[in-house]
Amino acid sequence: MTTLSPPRPAVHPPPRYRRPLGLARESWLHYGVLLLLAVLVLAPVVPTLYQSFLDRPLYEAGGILSVDNYVRLFTEAGFGRVVLNTALFAGLTTLLSLLIAVPMAVVVVRTKLPGGRLFAAAMQWPFFISSLILGFGWITIYGPAGFVSVEVRRMLGFLPWNLYSIPGMAVTEAVALAPIVYTFCANALRQSDASLEAAAQVCGAGPLRILRSVILPMLRPPIVYSSILVISMSVETLSVPLLFGQPVGIDVFSTFLYRNGLQSISPDYGVLGAASAIILLVTVSLVALQAKLLKNAQRFVSVRGKATRPRRLDLGWLKWVSVAAIACYVVLGALVPIGGLVFRSFTLVFTPLQSPFRTLTGANYERIFTYPVYVQSIVNSLLVAAIGAVLVSGLSLLAVMVARRSDFRFARAVEYLALAPQAMPGIIVGIGLFWALAFAPFGLGTLVQGTLWALIIGFGLRALPSGFGSISPSIMQIGRELDNAARVSGADWVRTFTRILAALLRPAFAGALILTFVTLLKEYSPAVFLGSADSNIIGTTMLELWVQGNTGSVAALASLQIAITATFVGLAGLLLKGRNDA
Amino acid sequence: MPEVKVSRLSKQFGDNAVLRDITFTIADGEFFTLLGPSGCGKSTTLACIAGLERPTSGSIAVGPATFVDSGTFVPPEGRNLGMVFQSYALWPHLTVAQNLAMPLRIRKVDRRRQDELITESLAKVGLAELKNRYPHQLSGGQQQRVALARALVYSPSVLLLDEPLSNLDAQLREQARAWLKRLQAELGITTVYVTHDQEEALALSDRIAVMSEGDMVQIGTPKEIYETPATARVAAFVGRCNFLTGTVTGQAEVRLDCTGQTLAVLPGAAGDGRRVSVAIRPERLEILPEGRTAPAGVNVLTAQVLTGSYIGSRYEYDLRLGDHVIQVESNRAGLTGEVTLLADPSACLVYPTTDVLPEDAEALLTVSH
Repeated sequence: MTTLSPPRPAVHPPPRYRRPLGLARESWLHYGVLLLLAVLVLAPVVPTLYQSFLDRPLYEAGGILSVDNYVRLFTEAGFGRVVLNTALFAGLTTLLSLLIAVPMAVVVVRTKLPGGRLFAAAMQWPFFISSLILGFGWITIYGPAGFVSVEVRRMLGFLPWNLYSIPGMAVTEAVALAPIVYTFCANALRQSDASLEAAAQVCGAGPLRILRSVILPMLRPPIVYSSILVISMSVETLSVPLLFGQPVGIDVFSTFLYRNGLQSISPDYGVLGAASAIILLVTVSLVALQAKLLKNAQRFVSVRGKATRPRRLDLGWLKWVSVAAIACYVVLGALVPIGGLVFRSFTLVFTPLQSPFRTLTGANYERIFTYPVYVQSIVNSLLVAAIGAVLVSGLSLLAVMVARRSDFRFARAVEYLALAPQAMPGIIVGIGLFWALAFAPFGLGTLVQGTLWALIIGFGLRALPSGFGSISPSIMQIGRELDNAARVSGADWVRTFTRILAALLRPAFAGALILTFVTLLKEYSPAVFLGSADSNIIGTTMLELWVQGNTGSVAALASLQIAITATFVGLAGLLLKGRNDA
Repeated sequence: MPEVKVSRLSKQFGDNAVLRDITFTIADGEFFTLLGPSGCGKSTTLACIAGLERPTSGSIAVGPATFVDSGTFVPPEGRNLGMVFQSYALWPHLTVAQNLAMPLRIRKVDRRRQDELITESLAKVGLAELKNRYPHQLSGGQQQRVALARALVYSPSVLLLDEPLSNLDAQLREQARAWLKRLQAELGITTVYVTHDQEEALALSDRIAVMSEGDMVQIGTPKEIYETPATARVAAFVGRCNFLTGTVTGQAEVRLDCTGQTLAVLPGAAGDGRRVSVAIRPERLEILPEGRTAPAGVNVLTAQVLTGSYIGSRYEYDLRLGDHVIQVESNRAGLTGEVTLLADPSACLVYPTTDVLPEDAEALLTVSH
């Protein structure tokens, strides 16, 4: 040990990594990801903001900057009424979805409920069904000429509800968004410490007392958080307001943009830009508030490694009331409208006045499959979803790696950029990208404009936060020491990823692929601006057929979309399961 | 095997200084331990040597290669060090052999040589027959040895060990400790070891560096650290110690607060009237057998036995000295009542601080009358 031999050269020296222009190769990758995300996120935003201050369409020369657009928005365009409608709609939706979901979460997770597991599984339905399809379903059943409405009117002589109103819109939207609130509350309830309840029980508190004094206070953070989420989602949603509000002239944010941008003969781009800017301001502040609250909430959520098995409370006869209420939500809210829509796709006439079984037919599907345009829209949807899912999952994976697993100086910026599209309503992504493409250098815009690539970019941008959100937790579960071990062993950042982390992240990546595929398949709102006759997708085709009054074919297309989603998720689930077992 | 030179190393997270001006040199082939409680900066120091953390300032060199200096930073992959992590960090999707092959494949060692090196390295840790197992099929002790084999397979210049034994159960830990010491001596590889376990540090190391709150408090051989701790904090952290507060009354005398008695201590303590702590190790207090008289020049203390416990190889007594509880180790059984304690002045170390122990620990060591 003490021999004075000259230092031996390393027997197996670590490899030398190339450093193009003096920067390590991971730095190039990090900056590349940052730049790509920045371009993607800013592309729809910057032209929108610019347009909102410009006195003419932004591709025309000689524009002058002014706040004139904002003034006109509130005077001529009647945007004040729109703001009020949106606030009413969002407020009512939030209230209703809380009323539906919070009690449901409590009884399903915390009490002995017959069929509780079934109900918990049933709350996943919005994953498969877009709100556009739900809207069609509700109109088919509860609309002025809907199946149930006609029957009720015949029995009572009048119809006690009006679906084409703000409360009608809110009820439908609340049905669609309640599962979000449910998920947040149910997770909080599952993670909370069951011994708190046991302590209350020991002190002599009955089940109802425990519900009121122990469980409900625990739910405050998830309620606040999911309320804001529901508000921001109902502020940006297009489907239900478009289907229910448009025919009777009730405008909210999204339909205002839709009407002014698409339906008017000479769209006022200035007003459109100003409205978009204001809506963006609202959604961005909501998402920022939500992020801040979540950060604060996490501080006092204690998730312990030790799993405490919650003892479920017994509600006695109340549990049958609960079962009835939940069944009512699932059956009347989702099952009947969607089932009705599917049934509608197999009939010519759908009314209780005449047995629909007498007109059973495949004509609705025939029409879709005989017109190449309609077939093309299904193919397009699948193409956009498939290519988009691969690209979005890939980009999400890179973004997560940079944001969570690098010492990149702008790692936080990468995370914020990847999550930013959360605050961008689909229709604004559509308008903004449309302008951005009109504005893009080297004629890139004309190359992409109106093609499927425009849709892939727009839809992909919207799906990016879900991709990021689904991969990020998995990477947090992989110990950082695994990376460090690879680094010390001689792998640089890039090789650590390719040799070690890529293999470990494969299941998470597969999960992200499935999630983004389904998300992209359901998406349509950016396409109303970005699409063209050649790039119709299922969603836009359904809207077109709906306007033409071709409800049978709409039902058929909707059923096809649900079937595709279910088949895909089923197959993917089987494939993943098989691999895990091996 | 080159020496490791760390000088004036500092690391700052925002306003929080995690390392302050750390300087030490590790000789060729030495087993060097960074010892300290959690949060003292020992792991950060190791991570800086490995290149996993970027120090705010200072320099690190191994042999002729400078890893860190102003303007220089060699990333971990360029340092050719071997490291064993606390969690072992075995790549779960690779077999034992594939885990060991990874650093060799990265280094483009040819296939046949890879196999030789892997077999050789696994033989060193006695696991040659388990090369096709996956990490989750191994016990904790086996995983720890595979991690060591992986860190050694490419003949790194320095071996870095981050609390590698802390995840083993007590029995295995002691055996693994002895085995590790033999292996290190056999290989003669310069080793930096991080631990919060002072027993482990004493048993394994050629030299120990005691760290506290980002400062390097003392560097020395295990004997130096244990017998002449540089500060009261080191005395408290390494081994057990009784602390008695008092006031300096002469060249080598301290009057104790608890009894008012004057104690002869090692000369050279601070001036008259200073408040100090006298530190005495429990095994350096001797219980005088009845009927014997104390030798001259030795401090004599009278105390009452509170409790005695049998801990296998010896007995431990809690004694009351004034209003203070002190601990004594002895091989005599069944002592009760009043006893006479002997403390050699050389066993009475004096430190110029009086708040060595945290308040709650202090409260437990006080008896009310």
